[in-house]
Amino acid sequence: MAPILSIVLATLLVSTLATFFAGKRARYVALAGSLVFLVEVLGLIAGFSQWAGFASGHLPLYNDYESYSWISIAWLHVNYTIGIDGISLIFILLTAILQVATVVYSWEESKRPAEWFGLVLLTCLGCFGVFVALDILLFFLFWEAVLIPMFFLIGFWGGPNRRYAALKFFVYTHVASIVMLVSLLALAFYSGASSFDFESLYGPARTLMPVTQVVLFFGLFFGFGVKFPIVPFHTWLPDAHVEAPTGGSVLLAGLLLKLGGYGLIRWAVELLPTGASDLAPLLYAVAFASIIWGAVIALAQRDLKRMVAYSSINHMGIVLLAIAVGSSLGITAAVLLMFAHGIVSALLFMVSGSVHHTFGTRDVSGIGGITPRTPALSTMVMVGSLASLGLPALISFPAEFAAFLAAWDRIGYWVVVPLVVLVVTAAFYLWMMQRVLFGPEKGVPPTVHDLPRFELLGMAMLAGATILFGILPELLVHVIVASPIAGWP
Amino acid sequence: MNLLDFLPELLLLAGALLVFLLDVLGVKRLEVFGGIAAAVTALGELVVIGDLGYAPLHALSTIPASAIDQPLGPTLYAFTSLGLVFQAIFLLTAFLVALASLSRPSHEPGAAVFFGLLLLATLGMLLVAVASDLIFLLLAIEVTSLSTYLLVAYPRKEPRPVEAAMKFFIIGALSTALSFFGASLLFGAYGGTSFYALGAATGYVGYPYLATVGYALLIAGLGFKVTAVPFHAWAVDVYDGAPDDVSAFLAGGSKKMGVFAFFLVFLGPLLLAERMPSALPSGFGPSLQITLGVLAVLTMTVGNLLALRQKEMKRMLAYSSISQAGYMLIGVAVGTGPAIAGATFQVFAHLFMKTGAFLVVGAAASIGVGPLIDDWRGLGNRRPSLGVPFALMLLSLAGIPLTVGFVSKFVLFSAAVQAQGYFVWLAVAGLLNSALSVFYYARVLKVMFLEPSPASAGVGATGSGRFGGIGAGRAGAILLATVAIVALGIYPGPVISGIQLAATHFLQIGA
Repeated sequence: MAPILSIVLATLLVSTLATFFAGKRARYVALAGSLVFLVEVLGLIAGFSQWAGFASGHLPLYNDYESYSWISIAWLHVNYTIGIDGISLIFILLTAILQVATVVYSWEESKRPAEWFGLVLLTCLGCFGVFVALDILLFFLFWEAVLIPMFFLIGFWGGPNRRYAALKFFVYTHVASIVMLVSLLALAFYSGASSFDFESLYGPARTLMPVTQVVLFFGLFFGFGVKFPIVPFHTWLPDAHVEAPTGGSVLLAGLLLKLGGYGLIRWAVELLPTGASDLAPLLYAVAFASIIWGAVIALAQRDLKRMVAYSSINHMGIVLLAIAVGSSLGITAAVLLMFAHGIVSALLFMVSGSVHHTFGTRDVSGIGGITPRTPALSTMVMVGSLASLGLPALISFPAEFAAFLAAWDRIGYWVVVPLVVLVVTAAFYLWMMQRVLFGPEKGVPPTVHDLPRFELLGMAMLAGATILFGILPELLVHVIVASPIAGWP
Repeated sequence: MNLLDFLPELLLLAGALLVFLLDVLGVKRLEVFGGIAAAVTALGELVVIGDLGYAPLHALSTIPASAIDQPLGPTLYAFTSLGLVFQAIFLLTAFLVALASLSRPSHEPGAAVFFGLLLLATLGMLLVAVASDLIFLLLAIEVTSLSTYLLVAYPRKEPRPVEAAMKFFIIGALSTALSFFGASLLFGAYGGTSFYALGAATGYVGYPYLATVGYALLIAGLGFKVTAVPFHAWAVDVYDGAPDDVSAFLAGGSKKMGVFAFFLVFLGPLLLAERMPSALPSGFGPSLQITLGVLAVLTMTVGNLLALRQKEMKRMLAYSSISQAGYMLIGVAVGTGPAIAGATFQVFAHLFMKTGAFLVVGAAASIGVGPLIDDWRGLGNRRPSLGVPFALMLLSLAGIPLTVGFVSKFVLFSAAVQAQGYFVWLAVAGLLNSALSVFYYARVLKVMFLEPSPASAGVGATGSGRFGGIGAGRAGAILLATVAIVALGIYPGPVISGIQLAATHFLQIGA
């Protein structure tokens, strides 16, 4: 069988390198590379019905499986092992969509465009690697490889306080990565697995003593949780977002946060089921704290971008809730919700970026009644906000619905707490939209222009995805459940 | 004894003598001396690699395969494959430094002295790598030490190098005295100085107090060489005061010699003692391991903490070098085959990243960048040809994936975890320290790439001449180190397997 995933990885690598050296044509190269990537991913999904890996019910559990020895010495066997299941595939699809949208949205980037587009592609390359890697070291390698381009994206193209934010982002997430790596290595050594391969860890890890599982799961939870981010380790996120350029924010919220959720599902819940169920109360508590804290702080913000950043913490709290439930419905809901949040938060960050350069401010109390003058922008504000508050027929609704349904099975009436929070945030969003979009005109410069077409195009793609998958979530769910943890067989 | 077994050593000696001879005969061009130095180190490197069993270079090998990794006897020297690996590391360091130094001003006074001493210092290191006798070992170290004292003071007209050399000399003399005193106590306790004799006698008489004191003195004496805390204070002043190329050589070479000396002194006899038939209950081995473990943790932690506060680039690199020595000592403390392999690979990685970093500092100085970290503001954007390699070296030192530094730390720490017991804590300490070290490396990245160039950056902003004014030799050396960092970071397989094999054989020489 052809090494399909390696081919995809290679095209990403080639297009990234080509972009770096393309000079003035960088954006064309980046767009071409992104479109090729998107087509490849759609091809992967199309070939989905012929997947052989699952039907047999034997190892390998993953499709398009490739494994080559990379480092092999007496006590250390590291492989280049990649493969996908439905969950990985959904995240890869998210990566491809956001890569295209980001490249289109930032089409007119004029500050060192070759480096800008190259770093955007490099970030997506790292994320793709994280989603396909099935070996501890390979996984960690891609995990860390995401950090460096993001460090430069924030630190070079960001706002006034960018250097501080870039450094804080780097140090916070790197420390968490190291905790994660230690936990994964401990997992490998304590389980006595023959290599660092996911497949060879799978059996031994799941049968570890409960105490060991709990300790390891705790370490992994911390390592992945900082990326989530969970309260109280979330403080890097608002700083990073506020200072990051729009494209950086899009990737940060749309992809980087998902790495935490994906990692938690793949490397912690799937490998350490007993640890996950024993620690579920802690996860619930942290999830509730993130949901409530994120929402409360979001309500207090007047800066649109900060508001979106805190509402991300709130949404990722719901994701954590669904993961903590741990049933196949919960995992499916968590993945779906992460996909939804990836699209919607990306859209909202693009919106706040465009608000910023249209009106010169992101302070929502300073502007009002913008619809007559900037209809396209206000349409996007509306789609993003409505999707974010969970309006039916938009993408977040089925995901949140499934998440609360799954939670109901485990925690019963406690599910009312996040629901109340959700209602309050919905009210807040509506109120914000009413003032900003439809109230009396305020703070609109006389010479205002509506969205530049590339920004509009980038946002429209995401808005289209929001509506498409909102009406047909089955397209995604069908793929997600093709994984050992979310339903298969 | 077959004299040809020492072909690399003889090459270096001949090279050094030729350099001195040409100097007397009135040749004054630096390129001639540098060329000789680079040529003999490169040739020596090839010979050593051939001796290690690399088939394409087999024609160059002079040591019969049957003579390598033999059980130790009461001899002065013995060839081990691990020793040959270290020889390769030393020669490669010397080659990089010689190559970079080719770019110094063509008529620099005293060039012959510089390159001649470089070769002699390397010769001493090569001898360390084949020692199987304590006195032979200490004398070989002296050969290197005496040469490096002079190397540090090589630009004689400037006060700072001379001051640094003076400090280096006084501390070095003290450490030599301690080592020899320790050796004499061991001789008193065991009646011999070869590792074989030490090991064999330990098997019968255990560890008398005399020997304990002797080993303690040797830890102190050799601790100075590897810059283990608390014997580290000299290193920063010396690295800082010495010319950049010499700092590169000291950090990349002479410290590594200390690491190998640690292997020989503390692993050789102990391993032998364990295998002696009538081994007495050995109460000393574990406590020695704990001492070394504490030393390792102290070294990496203190080095990192002090590096955090540095404002000068070279001092920061010097402290980071101390902390790296701490990682290497983990290998000595754990003492298993994987740990020795891990430490050796760490030494190998350090050669590229730290030597390379000092060479970049030298290059930056030659285009007018000041000594402070703040002077490097915007250099990454102004001069990506220097900024990008330096960034890779720092990322490698910090242990970021896709660089050789990540692989080496990964192998080393996983070896400590694999040894289990309290060694796991050494790995944890190492990891925490890696996390800590990211702070100061990332700060330099931030300064280089994210901050605007200072107003005075017109100087050297556009390099004059080919290779941006830093010279072909230096550019080549930096390029070589950078390529090695990335290539070994992506595909370390063959090198690491070779080193692991060597480490396994090393553990068996006592059998």
